[in-house]
Parts: sequence; structure tokens; C-alpha cells
Amino acid sequence: MPKKTWLHTALEISLIILISACAGIAWNWTLLSGAWRGEPTQQAQTAQSSQAAATPADEALPMPIGLMQVKELHDAKEAVIVDARSVASFAEGHIAGAVVLPVEEARKTPPFPSGVNIPKDATIIVYCNGFSCHDSMEVGKVLMQAGYASVYVYEGGYPEWRDAGYPVATGGAS
Amino acid sequence: MKESLKRYLPATVRIALGIIFIYAALVKIADPVAFAGSVAAYKILPYFANYLAAAVLPFVELACGLLLVTGYRVKCGALIIAAMNLVFMAALASAIVRGLDIDCGCFKQGGDKTSPWIALARDTVFLAMAFVVLKMDPKVKRVSAQQG
Repeated sequence: MPKKTWLHTALEISLIILISACAGIAWNWTLLSGAWRGEPTQQAQTAQSSQAAATPADEALPMPIGLMQVKELHDAKEAVIVDARSVASFAEGHIAGAVVLPVEEARKTPPFPSGVNIPKDATIIVYCNGFSCHDSMEVGKVLMQAGYASVYVYEGGYPEWRDAGYPVATGGAS
Repeated sequence: MKESLKRYLPATVRIALGIIFIYAALVKIADPVAFAGSVAAYKILPYFANYLAAAVLPFVELACGLLLVTGYRVKCGALIIAAMNLVFMAALASAIVRGLDIDCGCFKQGGDKTSPWIALARDTVFLAMAFVVLKMDPKVKRVSAQQG
């Protein structure tokens, strides 16, 4: 009976997908729980996602921001763009107008080197080398702990920006 | 010649498709964060869903690949692979329409960029291979006959 055959196949397919999904979630549990926590509560109020998990009040996390929003803020010069990669990577290519601040530099007090005066109420966007890079989140956290209130992490980072054909620059720290 | 082609083609296609999906799964499982980035580059899913898809999809691919290679539950494996390919093709088509110049993220993450057009052509071949398995593989026909 064809109907019975399809029902049987559909059940088997559901079971295969369910088992695979459970295996995938179990295997990547640390990554998934990190990604879940990485979306702060306030993000749910300001952006599209309602999947934000509650984070401890004393653990302020930077908010994620997408390419188009970064471009708008960059063009309007309404944000300070911070490159969390190494000085050498920065020199090879960076978002035009960005300031270099590697993690080890950011952990010093004050986070920004002397001569770089950024008001505490400035909008700061931190990026590094795309989704596989966590330095932007680390620098973002350090900046929030240092009192900067409006810090965003641009997870697409330099590769996405460059590939989109948006302005880049090379050379030393600006 | 024609007889031997008819006899060996379905099994060859089934095993080749299985190995391709096992390979695709293993390289993604090895670097789930990079794969999440590739998924996010399509700008279709919300933030956390990119990670969830990156965690689950490779394991579905791995399971289906293993089913095809071992010849166990071939019909289910081929149907899931065909459905996944249709989803991938829809995502690639949407990337092309929106003018996104991104890496397809199909195999090795962070390597040389594969354009959505090439990936779309490749997925069409995989889809055709899945249909060959579904239509011609004796294991699928035998199971269907038993269940029918």
C-alpha cells in the first residue's frame, strides 16, 4: 500500500533527522551554549531575535551588529571602529578609519593607548577576522568593563567587509 | 556494456554520493564556528539559528552519507540528501539574487572561495545523483516492494 510505505519512510526520515540533530547538539554543546549566552538580554529588545537568554547582570556583553548597520554608522561617522586583530594584520588591511586595539593592549589600563581619546558614551564597533575569531568579543567585553556603554561586535569582521567591496585601508595604526 | 552500466551505475552513484556527503560533513564538524560564519553569510537565519544549523546540518549529512555507503535505509538517506540539496539550492539562488559575493560554505571552511553559481551547478549534480539512487538502486526498489 503506497500510503503505508510513505508513512513508514516519513517516520524513518524523522527518526534519522532527530538522532542526527541530537548528536549535533550534544557534540557542539559548548559552542551552542556560548552562542546562546553571547546574545544579551537587551538585544532581544532592540533587534530581531527573541532567543536571547538571560545573562547575569554583572556580565555585560557587547551586542552583535550586522554588515549593513556597520556600513551606515561608518558612513555617517557615528561610530568608532576598533580592529581587535594584531598590528601586523591591521597593517595588511583594515576597515577604513579603524583604530587598532589587540586583546593584550585592550587589557591594559586604560584600554586605548595614550593619544586616542574616545568618550565613554561613544558608539564602538569591534571586529576581527570573522566568525571564527573571538578577539572582537574579548575586546568588546574589556571595553564594557572599562565603562564604555555602547559597544557592538561586528562578527562578519574584516573578511565580510572587504568582500562586500566597502572601503578598506592598509598601513599603520590610525 | 549497457547491462553492466545498468547493474553497477546505481551502486557507484550511491557510494560516491555517500562519500561526498561524509567528507562534506567531516570538514564542517571539524570547524563548526567557521561553518556558522558561512551560514550567517547568507543572511537568512537569525544569529543563534546560524550556530544551531552549523551544529546540526553536518551530522544529518554524515548520517545520510553513512546510510548511502553502507546501503542501509538507502531510500531515506537519498530522500534527505535530495531535500537538503533543494534547500541549499534555494539558499544559493537567494544569495545570487541578492548579489551576495560569498563562499558557499559547502566543503572546507575558509579555503578558496567557491562562487554560488558553481555551488548551484554542483548541487544540481548531487540532486541528480540522489534521483538516480532513488529511481535505479536495487536496494530502494527492494525495500519499496517489501513495504508496498
